[in-house]
Amino acid sequence: MRFLRYVLKSLWGHRTRSLLTVGGAAVSLFVFTFVGGVRGGMDQISSGWNERSLIVFQIHRFCPETSRLPEAYGKTIAALPGVADVLPMRVFMNNCGATLDLIVLHGVPPQKLRAFRDLSLVAGSFSEFETRRDAALVGRTVADRRRLRVGDKFTVGELTVTVAGVFSASNPAVENTIYTPLEFLQYGRGLNSVGMVTQFEVKVADGADPVAVARAIDESFRADRVQTDTRAKGVFESFAVGDLAELVGLAGYLGYACIVLVLTLVSSTTMMTVQDRAREYAVLQTIGISWDGVFRLVLAESAVLGGLGGALGVTAAAAVLNWGGLSLATEGVSVAFSASGGLVAIGLTVAMVIGLAAGVFPAWQAARSDIVEALRSS
Amino acid sequence: MALVEVIDVVKEYRKGEHVIRPLDEVSLEIERHEFVSLMGASGSGKSTLLNLIAGIDRPTSGEVIVNGTAITRLSRRQLAHWRAAHIGYVFQTHNLIPVLTAFENVELPLLLLPFSRSERRKRVALALEAVGLSDRADHYPRQLSGGQEQRVGIARAIVADPLVVVADEPTGDLDAESTEQILELLMRLNTELGTTFLVVTHDPRTAGIAQRRLRLEKGKLLDRDCPAHVATITEDE
Repeated sequence: MRFLRYVLKSLWGHRTRSLLTVGGAAVSLFVFTFVGGVRGGMDQISSGWNERSLIVFQIHRFCPETSRLPEAYGKTIAALPGVADVLPMRVFMNNCGATLDLIVLHGVPPQKLRAFRDLSLVAGSFSEFETRRDAALVGRTVADRRRLRVGDKFTVGELTVTVAGVFSASNPAVENTIYTPLEFLQYGRGLNSVGMVTQFEVKVADGADPVAVARAIDESFRADRVQTDTRAKGVFESFAVGDLAELVGLAGYLGYACIVLVLTLVSSTTMMTVQDRAREYAVLQTIGISWDGVFRLVLAESAVLGGLGGALGVTAAAAVLNWGGLSLATEGVSVAFSASGGLVAIGLTVAMVIGLAAGVFPAWQAARSDIVEALRSS
Repeated sequence: MALVEVIDVVKEYRKGEHVIRPLDEVSLEIERHEFVSLMGASGSGKSTLLNLIAGIDRPTSGEVIVNGTAITRLSRRQLAHWRAAHIGYVFQTHNLIPVLTAFENVELPLLLLPFSRSERRKRVALALEAVGLSDRADHYPRQLSGGQEQRVGIARAIVADPLVVVADEPTGDLDAESTEQILELLMRLNTELGTTFLVVTHDPRTAGIAQRRLRLEKGKLLDRDCPAHVATITEDE
């Protein structure tokens, strides 16, 4: 610690080189953390839901706009053994492909919403949502991204809704959702959906086997005009974002490549520093710093470069992920990106480890160099 | 017992198939408070001998004993700690750390020793005062003249109150006026503080201020003069 000032002043003395290295490390760790946040969002799709929730969809349909199930199916499903509750849902969206600008309205019976979702209002009221026909409960992520407040009106396609409340939820993916009364999406102009829903969300009763319940539901409508395809909710949504998941999986390699990049960058900078300052390290050893002391000094410089750059990159990525309200959506499923505390901790640890690892070889070279030879060098 | 004892020291280098022997069975004693100069032609081995006494190089054979410690038997790490406490080194080219101020450069050796912050400050202030640079404490090396840089280098060498200060061509890079100032300073430190000096030089004027002048020729030490006088300051003073 007594030599901390020397370490910092040495880095500042070569500030162009230091800042470029810190910048490079920051960009690399930004990408690493950002990719981690995107992957985390994808993981939440499959892990964020209770496996005892099922989604009943029209068979051989993918985009929610194309799934049309009679609302009356709800009563049949509710009567099946092992079913605890049923939530009919009409999904309305402005785009069915993968997009960064997807707005999805989930029409549900207002009285049933709180039984199926763990929501906390941060503004507005549930009673307004339950009584007003064009009311919308807006997830905090969407509200932040679209700058929506209680009382605001916004239009999706030909539908105009009024924000009755803004909610937070334990599952970040839910905070990317907008709920409206079911009837509003059935009777809306041009929707032609009276008596129809997109899907049913089914709560499986305690002790019942979700797979058997799903099979029983599909079996019930086997002979009907509209057949169903029932899956666990996490599986259903993972399937919906399957292509995206592959893309994000590839992006994961980009994150690892960034780690190698920053390792190389910090290592080469430290190596250049050691070569440029061979004489200076020899002077330090002459006045009494031991070889392991020199090793630690070089390692400290490398760790500061990697750690500082990494911390900047991780912090910037966390800020963008958590406050930028970024999300990606496809087939009606929104993937909300966020940087968890764990991801930030991993990013900072990786940065520090890289900083140290990058300095090991240059530090070894500096520590083992011959003092007399180094003093003779120009 | 002499402060520095060099006993039958041989130093050999291998260069390709040739073996170069800059020091050939050199023996030397330096008394406490003595000011010794060491002259010789380039490649005569004088810097090698100085480096052996300073503990930054090791002999091929022979022994170097400083204040009773056989430094040739110390490990690399022990030797570093020993240097921090007992050796001051003045370089020809000053070798100040460019990113540190004069104060911080002088303070460096003290960071390796168990001194408190206030004790370090006091010692650095005294060392800078001794070399006449109290008003340049906050200056960086690039803001100092060559002579001033060398005085900071000397302050750094004496700040920990070492047993011996070794100087390798301390006036080699200086103009006549700066050389004069540095020589006066070294003499004053020897007579007033009793600092023991071993100075390697090409310059007869620099060698002239020494109480004892030695000469190395082809790796052999020629004792030109017997000790004329030793600084009258005793350890008790």
